[in-house]
Amino acid sequence: MTITLTINGVEHSVEIDTEETLLSVLRRMGYVGVKKGCESGDCGACAVLLDGRAVNSCLVLAAKANARHVVTVEGLSEHGTLHPVQQAFLDSGAVQCGYCTPGMVISAVDLLSRNPDPTREEIAEAISGNLCRCTGYTKQIDAIAEAAKRMRSSDDD
Amino acid sequence: MVETNAKVYLRPSSVEEAWTILNERGERAKLVGGGADVVLYASSATTTLVDLDGLPLKTIERGNDGLVIGSGVTFTELLESPVVAGYLHGVVTDMLRGVGSPLLRNLATVGGTLGSAHPWSDVIPLFVSLGAMVTLHNGTTRTVALEDLIADRPLLHRCVITHVRLPIASPRAAAAFLKFGRTKVDVGLLNCACFAAGREDKVETVRITVGGAPAIAQRVPAAEAVVLGNCLDAEVIAQAAAAGAEAVDVRNDRRASGEYRRTLTAVGIRRCLERIGERWGETA
Repeated sequence: MTITLTINGVEHSVEIDTEETLLSVLRRMGYVGVKKGCESGDCGACAVLLDGRAVNSCLVLAAKANARHVVTVEGLSEHGTLHPVQQAFLDSGAVQCGYCTPGMVISAVDLLSRNPDPTREEIAEAISGNLCRCTGYTKQIDAIAEAAKRMRSSDDD
Repeated sequence: MVETNAKVYLRPSSVEEAWTILNERGERAKLVGGGADVVLYASSATTTLVDLDGLPLKTIERGNDGLVIGSGVTFTELLESPVVAGYLHGVVTDMLRGVGSPLLRNLATVGGTLGSAHPWSDVIPLFVSLGAMVTLHNGTTRTVALEDLIADRPLLHRCVITHVRLPIASPRAAAAFLKFGRTKVDVGLLNCACFAAGREDKVETVRITVGGAPAIAQRVPAAEAVVLGNCLDAEVIAQAAAAGAEAVDVRNDRRASGEYRRTLTAVGIRRCLERIGERWGETA
């Protein structure tokens, strides 16, 4: 079957298998920033924004993405400038092996789009579906709090 | 990739059309709400997926006779709804905060979770305690108690759930929910939900439900009998917790032993009833 969806602002028509997941389709289209982890909705490495909300793309049937908007980590930067959440991850040293980072960033972008001034508890809750196997979560929470601060500051300008 | 043999993907535009497809194709057809359950658990017998996204089942309304929730509403939409937060001290909202992660709650739908009726569900025990009524279509439109629907698997698997109604009880009504789990995101080891309504200090209606024991939500009549007609004082609560723990059907599985679950049942019933007592106090 064929679906039409918008990925990172560009419309695509894609031939898919009925039972194929959005994760599978995105990766074979070259969006490999969407990581394949557990494939059972537990690790969050495959998170993308679907109509603005972060979801596990491994649990989304690709057919359900028809006529919808998908944003992957590749679609967050603008004109070569990283998204404030990506930049804050770099500046805060929140990246180790990096495998969980795209999903973590996507969850953070979803959070900050609805809650520009989250508490650390709210940030921890927002990334509770993103597992990091390298270390704890302190640096990531620092990074998201820093990104929120920068985004608020930029909105005030 | 899903391990189904699904080759046909249909998007019906009405509940009746969805039911007709389900009825004609029988076990080969699987309804798709959020879709996560289809990806994780669909069987190789499934050849047709029936996507319910096109149906007008995404509303949350508070009417005279309760909170009416469309089956296409996601957990996140429920969690963010002020109407739901205002229902019985926000008991549904509080429960949903402990279900999975935001990534999962953005996908999972109310209809999907009721239709799948997983034994570890947190939603079902609370909704059973609240006296939830489910409107469904299986050739005709009818309304059945959720408690009866989950016990009737042939009906549950061969119907299109359209709405669930959580009744509005008397002003002196409260509910509480408790989930025991190793982590917040993981499936629980056991959960407990209680609802009590009454007049003065006496309980006139009570529903105590235990889920994930590891069986699907079960009412605990032995505990309810202790509470009914009495005040929610410490002695009654302790007796109800003990009676419930003795009567509850618990088993061992890889998550916990039956005996541990029996202990958790006592703690769950006690804490939920204590919380209801506090909430009654707030409305006195």
